[in-house]
Amino acid sequence: MKEELKKTEQEALKSLEATSDRQGVNLLRTRYLGRKGVMTQCLRGISTVPAADRPEAGRLANEVKTRLEVAFREAIERLDADSKEPSGGLDVTLPGRSFARGRLHPITQVTQAISEIFLRLGFEIAEGPNVELDYYNFEALNIPKDHPARDMQDTFYISDDVVLRTHTSPIQIRVMEKRSPPIRIIAPGKVYRVDSDVSHTPMFHQIEGLMVGENISFGDLKGILTTLVHQIFDEETSLRFRPSFFPFTEPSAEVDIQCVICRGKGCRVCSHTGWLEVLGAGMVHPAVFEMVGYDTDRYTGFAFGMGIERIAMLKYGIDDIRKFYENDIRFLEQF
Amino acid sequence: MKVSLSWLQDYVTVDVDVVELAEALTMAGLEVDALSDRYAYLDGVVAGRLVEITPHPDADTLSVCKVDVGAGVKSIVCGASNIKKGDLVPVALPGTQLPSGDTIEAGRIRGRVSEGMLCSEAELTLGTDRSGILVLPESSVPGRGVAAALGLSDTVIEFDLTPNRSDCLSVIGIAREVAAILGVPLNYPEVKLPSGETPIEEFASVTIEVPDHCPRYAARLVTEVHIAPSPFWLRDRLNSVGLRAINNVVDVTNFVLMETGQPLHAFDFDRLAEHRIVVRTAKEGQIFTTLDGTERNLTDEALMICDGKGPVALAGIMGGLESEIEDDTTRVLIESAYFNPITIRRTAKRLGLSTESSHRFERGVDPEGIVRALDRAAQLMVQMGGGKLAAGVIDVYPRPIPERVIELSVDRTNRLLGTGLSRDAIISHLESIEFEVEVLDEDRLKVAPPTCRVDIERPEDLMEEVARLSGYNKIPTTQPVSHVVAKEQEKRLRVRDLLRHVLAGCGFSEIVTYSFIGEDACDRLLLADNDPRRRMVSIVNPLTEELGVMRTSLLPGLLTTMFRNSTQRNENLRIFELGRIFLKTGHDELPEEVEMISGLWTGAKHNSTWNVQEEKLGFYDIKGIVDTLCAALNIPHVSFRALKGPGHPYLRPGHAAEVYSGKKSVGTVGEVTGQVLHNFELKQPAYCLDLNFEEVVCLCFEEIRAKPISRFPATARDIALIVDDAVEAQSVLDFIEGLGQELIDGVEIFDVYKGSPIPARKKSMALRLTYRSFERNLTDSEVNSIHAAVTQKTLRQFKAELPAG
Repeated sequence: MKEELKKTEQEALKSLEATSDRQGVNLLRTRYLGRKGVMTQCLRGISTVPAADRPEAGRLANEVKTRLEVAFREAIERLDADSKEPSGGLDVTLPGRSFARGRLHPITQVTQAISEIFLRLGFEIAEGPNVELDYYNFEALNIPKDHPARDMQDTFYISDDVVLRTHTSPIQIRVMEKRSPPIRIIAPGKVYRVDSDVSHTPMFHQIEGLMVGENISFGDLKGILTTLVHQIFDEETSLRFRPSFFPFTEPSAEVDIQCVICRGKGCRVCSHTGWLEVLGAGMVHPAVFEMVGYDTDRYTGFAFGMGIERIAMLKYGIDDIRKFYENDIRFLEQF
Repeated sequence: MKVSLSWLQDYVTVDVDVVELAEALTMAGLEVDALSDRYAYLDGVVAGRLVEITPHPDADTLSVCKVDVGAGVKSIVCGASNIKKGDLVPVALPGTQLPSGDTIEAGRIRGRVSEGMLCSEAELTLGTDRSGILVLPESSVPGRGVAAALGLSDTVIEFDLTPNRSDCLSVIGIAREVAAILGVPLNYPEVKLPSGETPIEEFASVTIEVPDHCPRYAARLVTEVHIAPSPFWLRDRLNSVGLRAINNVVDVTNFVLMETGQPLHAFDFDRLAEHRIVVRTAKEGQIFTTLDGTERNLTDEALMICDGKGPVALAGIMGGLESEIEDDTTRVLIESAYFNPITIRRTAKRLGLSTESSHRFERGVDPEGIVRALDRAAQLMVQMGGGKLAAGVIDVYPRPIPERVIELSVDRTNRLLGTGLSRDAIISHLESIEFEVEVLDEDRLKVAPPTCRVDIERPEDLMEEVARLSGYNKIPTTQPVSHVVAKEQEKRLRVRDLLRHVLAGCGFSEIVTYSFIGEDACDRLLLADNDPRRRMVSIVNPLTEELGVMRTSLLPGLLTTMFRNSTQRNENLRIFELGRIFLKTGHDELPEEVEMISGLWTGAKHNSTWNVQEEKLGFYDIKGIVDTLCAALNIPHVSFRALKGPGHPYLRPGHAAEVYSGKKSVGTVGEVTGQVLHNFELKQPAYCLDLNFEEVVCLCFEEIRAKPISRFPATARDIALIVDDAVEAQSVLDFIEGLGQELIDGVEIFDVYKGSPIPARKKSMALRLTYRSFERNLTDSEVNSIHAAVTQKTLRQFKAELPAG
């Protein structure tokens, strides 16, 4: 039996080698591996082998059969590959039948990315109304009526006491009114200002941050914002803090990052300064704590705010803010 | 705020490069917006050497000059007589725009070619002499810029100041910061006044009727003034910061305003009735003509400077036409006052009139700098106008502004900033900007800020001064210490995320549109008069009418986006928006803000590709999206009911449904009517879904309990029913489910057919029931008998028939 199998295998391989056309190979294949072929006969013949040798014979027969199957497949593939004629295979370069895939708006993606960073730092997400009381948008933030700081933000009015929020800062007040320290929140959302040109839209998005507790310092504010910038862009991006003014923080700072386009060498995007202004921040003004009834001797805190569009424009290389709100599908499908 | 480097150097020595200075100022909180070369306007004017001068053959007063301008010899016709061969002169080359606004062009003058213009000092605003051509120093190089030839170099520094720093709205204010940063002394201008003869009180008087609005008013009188142009240095100073020179008296008030930050006003004293000043508020509705010739309608809040008869100036904002300085003015009353910032701001804002004066008054001027500025102006006016000073000063100060003294703790400063500054370092920073510091003990300091620093009120304000002068970037960067608390993410955030991703997975891209829309959106959606979405919140000062009200539906935004895309031939769209709508509640109350999730599908059903038949998009496609969403969010008992009634007139009747979870309506889904498409200038059919996100969040069921799975095979049996056209599939499915037959594992509708051979107003509905047990294999006969019973009950319930044959 063993000899017979070996002989059959050699014979088959030899004939296969001598055959150079597809038809011939197929005929050979039928002869050896077909339903009535040599190998089938062999396998059937196993039943005649003495019982003790049967398993060994079966194993051998199967091994030979497998080897022959591989040899025939390889022979056909080789012939196909050599053949100049159409093989009957597929044109794999034709497009696949893809499923439509939608995208999330770039503003959403950037908001989510920034939120993620803060969630990992143990911050919670807070929200507030878009149509806001003048009290929360201004007065509780130490911006009384008739204060020149109101000129910093051109406001849409609903009535004398109701406005479209001009920043996400009123959420700070709403959260602090409800809860006592320690507080660690971020508040993303839409904000509105009377402005419209290449770099301004009447509605845009901000993300606000607030951390209040005992012994929170300006150094800590620098630490958190450095972490944020490094995670949004990269560890190489340097920051600088400049003194500035916001009525609801003291000391106040504008935060510049090294231009991510030119790496600080100076280009059109950074007006050749090498720096980009991306954040406003500061230590919460004691007048704000007084408005919400916090003990100013015990608690300190910091707050910051940034424009989402600004970050998205830098991240994706978009030079006209209005593109975000035109919602041209060719624009959206790039994200 | 613009300051020229040369003017700045009158008070402080700048020995660093201006770019470095600008950087240092920016980092100290005075943001420098731009640096510009003050003499850039002279770029097209070069030095030229006169190589030949010949009389113009056809004009007695003109000569034809050959001028070597470095890059060649030009022929220029000139009318001046002060120049000779060999002189170096300024040549404005063709294309140059002179300060007068004229642009030089090459041309012919009386038949002779003239390729430029030789300029006088006045023509280049480098002096007042216009009698002849400016002769440049012998060291000048032909072809080089005239500014370089004259050694002129100045930089204009433009600041973007924050509203708290009113003290820096002056050259001296900026100089004070520069002195502190560079560690050099600040030199105030010396004021020496001639002793006048007749006391001012004998000429004039000042009465303040409203001391709350005008806490302080001071005045001096200069007589025997000759109104004339100012000397060149004064005009040059004003020019350097972009102010126009007018005459010696007005120029002095402007100069002192820029120098000290104190706005002044000069009245023609002889045009002040009864020679007295009365400060009071206007009468409601009073009309006053300001010196720009505009009639201003006043309210009783407006503060007025009046004479014996009536108003002569809108206090702190603008003078009146009637008492303006004229060429024949000989006696000038100079006003220097402290007005209440809020009073000035209200009126300026109401009149939409912002001036150099109002800008400073509404931010707060130095209450103790009033008389100093007045004296400075009086001194200069006497110098410029050759006048005489009346003796003494009128200084009415009924409401003294209290001086501030603030206690500062060294320890608290360091704790807030996260620094380790010594007490002495803190003191020296504060003293460098003229704060007076008294040491109380190791920790406590008593600090008196200068009176010009009206923004300093609290210890934290002092801490900021210390921080900015020591440098924000020197503060160590630390990480806050806080207790670790794992907070659960709010459900609505998770649901929002899930919705977005499921929709994106279904091929829908997210859009973000403005929260405000046009008021006509409701009409365009054909909403009934009593539709709640007509309760719109209006914006008092919208950007445009199309952005005039807060949206009460996301559909207009989707349809408008579809329109905008259609104009770009983007015809296949799947878009959604997740955002708030705003429903008006009451006046002065905040509206109800409801979050909605809405989507729109138009155009192709599949991505276009080869060899696939394009299928028509239909109601069941958009409904399928809602099905997918509900399944993904695990919303229980979802059902759809055909929309009836007038609630949603923008959806096509018979092709739209209301979505329910149990008895709760979650939203709608369907095809947009042709009329609404037309109203949004759309041609292509569109399908939308509009779901209430607040409801979705409540209904979204997040807990999952795994159900056991039977390991026995299922057996399927079909039923075909001929039913009335009106029978809804859902009712059939509900009925079969309601039978409570435990062995039914699932029911599915696999075909619905109308038309021959099915009779009219009937349809055939084919159902496939799957039977399965948890305990055993079901036998054919068992399944057959259950199925027969189910079939019979269903036929009876729906008055249905089995198909013939």
